[in-house]
Amino acid sequence: MEYLIHILVMMCLYVILSTSFNLVVGSAGLFALSHAAFYAIGAYASAILIIDVGLPFPLPLLIGALFTAAIGAVAALPALRIGGHYLVIVTLALQVIVLAFLINAQAITRGPAGISGIPRVELFGLALDSPQRFLPLAAFFAAFCFWIAWRLTESPFGRALRAMREDEEATKAIGKNVVYMKLSAFALSAGLASVAGALLGRYVSFISVESFTIEETIYVLAMVILGGTGNLWGSALGAVILVSLPELLKFVEMPAEIADKVRQILYGILLIVMLRLRPEGLIAEVSRAAQRLAPVPAGEVPVPAIAAATPAGEITVSGRGLSKHFGGIRAVEDFDIDLTAGTITGLIGPNGAGKTTAFNLITGFLPPTAGTISFRGRSVAGRKPHEIVRAGVARSFQDLKLFTKMTVLDNVLVALPRQSGDGVLSVFFRPFRVRAEETANIARAVEVLRFVGLEDKAGETADNLSYAEEKLLVIARLLATEAEVLLFDEPLSGLAPTTLEEIFPVFRRLAAAGKTICIIEHNLDVIKRLCDTAIYLDEGRALRKGTPEELMNDPELAGRYFS
Amino acid sequence: MDLLLQLAINGIANGSHYALLAIGFGLIFATTGIVHFAYGPLYALSAYFVWMSVAWLGLPFVAALVAGVAASTVVGMLAYLWLHRPFERNQSPAFVVMIVSLGLFIVVENGIGIVFGTDTKVLEEVTYGIHFVGDAVISELQIAQVVALVLIGAALALFLKLTNYGKAVRAMTDNPDMAAVIGIDTVRISVLVFAIGSAIAAIPAVLVLIKDGATPAMGFSAVFVAFVAVIVGGLGSIRGAILGGLLLGMVENLGMWKIPTEWQSSIAFVVLFLVLLLRPNGLFKGQ
Repeated sequence: MEYLIHILVMMCLYVILSTSFNLVVGSAGLFALSHAAFYAIGAYASAILIIDVGLPFPLPLLIGALFTAAIGAVAALPALRIGGHYLVIVTLALQVIVLAFLINAQAITRGPAGISGIPRVELFGLALDSPQRFLPLAAFFAAFCFWIAWRLTESPFGRALRAMREDEEATKAIGKNVVYMKLSAFALSAGLASVAGALLGRYVSFISVESFTIEETIYVLAMVILGGTGNLWGSALGAVILVSLPELLKFVEMPAEIADKVRQILYGILLIVMLRLRPEGLIAEVSRAAQRLAPVPAGEVPVPAIAAATPAGEITVSGRGLSKHFGGIRAVEDFDIDLTAGTITGLIGPNGAGKTTAFNLITGFLPPTAGTISFRGRSVAGRKPHEIVRAGVARSFQDLKLFTKMTVLDNVLVALPRQSGDGVLSVFFRPFRVRAEETANIARAVEVLRFVGLEDKAGETADNLSYAEEKLLVIARLLATEAEVLLFDEPLSGLAPTTLEEIFPVFRRLAAAGKTICIIEHNLDVIKRLCDTAIYLDEGRALRKGTPEELMNDPELAGRYFS
Repeated sequence: MDLLLQLAINGIANGSHYALLAIGFGLIFATTGIVHFAYGPLYALSAYFVWMSVAWLGLPFVAALVAGVAASTVVGMLAYLWLHRPFERNQSPAFVVMIVSLGLFIVVENGIGIVFGTDTKVLEEVTYGIHFVGDAVISELQIAQVVALVLIGAALALFLKLTNYGKAVRAMTDNPDMAAVIGIDTVRISVLVFAIGSAIAAIPAVLVLIKDGATPAMGFSAVFVAFVAVIVGGLGSIRGAILGGLLLGMVENLGMWKIPTEWQSSIAFVVLFLVLLLRPNGLFKGQ
């Protein structure tokens, strides 16, 4: 009986480890190999703070969690800024150096012998010195850590994480700081893992590096993959299964050392087989039901949330001498552009003329080789894409980059600016404010959807939309950023003429409301009917500027492009 | 001064060992984009294969060496075709392929432990001499490590520069999509680099078997150091992998002049961290 309760305690610890690891692997879509290291830091920090400093419960656990989160953040930051595979190698290296430290810094960690004699937790005069007595504490912390992880994934921050996992570029383009998001998820995950470590030490009263090898990370990873990366319940289920499974192996006669290796091999095979046959795990990600929507008053929909600071007719964005070279290729060369508030500017030219590159330069997605860009007279050189979006210049993508697994409403909601719920601290320390904002934001998002005529589809998943509806959603998401300058990359390509007639007024009303609009477009009819002015780009240079009529009547351009 | 000379000799020899590991791992990583964690245990497996051929089957060492390289090549190709390729075909995200490789890592490492036990396996049949340079010692095995690096590095560089397959590998390293567009069979090239990378790994495996013996855990440190060397040197160039490996070996050994031995393995981390902070594209790339 006592042994069964011991297994329950271990399940609680592994629920903490697996759900916190899922925050990184599942929610943030990052792959790290340092979870066992954070588990170890939590265990050692807590044990040392109890024995050598004499702090009372639960201070060692809490300080250990903060300390571990800080180490995780400092170690991961350089890698997260670069992106790609760097986090894997850095976390692998962190795992190696943490174990080396625990073994070698004997004065602090007692070296390979480990720390023994960690005192039991005493609560209300009762020493928690048996599995029965420890189980309620373990269960409490498992529930608490699960609640923290769950709260985070259900918050606006969690929504932004899901968006980032689907498309990182698009998430930058709606004004999110993806490095901050990854860093917060990573640090929080490290802090939660350390709680499991602190509990382990208090439970078995002995810790050594043996418990925190890379194999431990793979064990927890197997739980996450088995349960499914898409939700936290899956990770908890994975932990329950993989803690109990090895117990069954004990009925097979074999030496302990071999049994341990067989166990490891089973985890390895489990990882491969699950990913091959059921990559979504035992519990697949549930698609989130649409929130209850506030009724929108009937009648003409106002242009949503315009805060145009620039009077119509004045220049908002100005680029001078912009160049972008890729090796020997000059994608954009000595390009000048002025965009004016209240007007629609068309960017035309053959494929490969540098139109999209020009957008990338203006919005900070690519640094220019030469030249300057200013917005409202201030230089935006060297600013990150999300900073430029927040300042008021946003762009869409030719290949849409919608968050296709999210609802139409969420696609718009996630793009709204100034959400307190985008910050991890606010999610936990200002829950009422976050909730109140969320209610207001949903109303705003519905307003935006209504403006483009998509409010009926609010609850649909974005990949169920028709092509024309997808194009509308792109417009809605861009509008939701509340940016003053909107750069549309081929917003109307591939649409039927009747659909175009329905979308034209959207652009006109935005311009009339004072927005600065620039669109890349190949269809000359669209340019003629929609744009006030146009720029003809070829081989990275602006060949002509003028009204659409002037460009089309230009004999040289007529020969080159309009024939 | 003699200590410093000795440390430098050890550094160059260990660095050559790391560089060889990094060439194989880096070739696979840069060309296919796969972080091949199982590279480590498969490297260990080839050491065990050679040990088994000599100690159990009684093969002459040279025959065992050839068999070891051949076995490593085949196993590497199978790892790609049976394990990685199906996931590539499903267009699984990169981190799924990484987890799968980690799965293979732990299966092979523990499989070795079950079959051969966890004690250190040494090849007593193979002996080598030592020479003195002043008061410093240089062993023939250390010379063999350096010579192996020079020969393999040169051969691979010539292969990549001169042959059609080599040019295809370089094209795929530059841009896999573009390589596919211009008619390169990227699956065939992936199989090829897994074969070459795994064949190369067998050489340092055998040399280290003779020098220190084989243990099941040797794979982890091998793939770790190869990964670090590739990142430090700059992904996608042989020169970077070689220089990254040599640098790690030198820093680790020269560092022992002032730093206690037990911290040796942590030096790699510090080097990696500094490079990521200061020169994220690697030290020896893009000049």
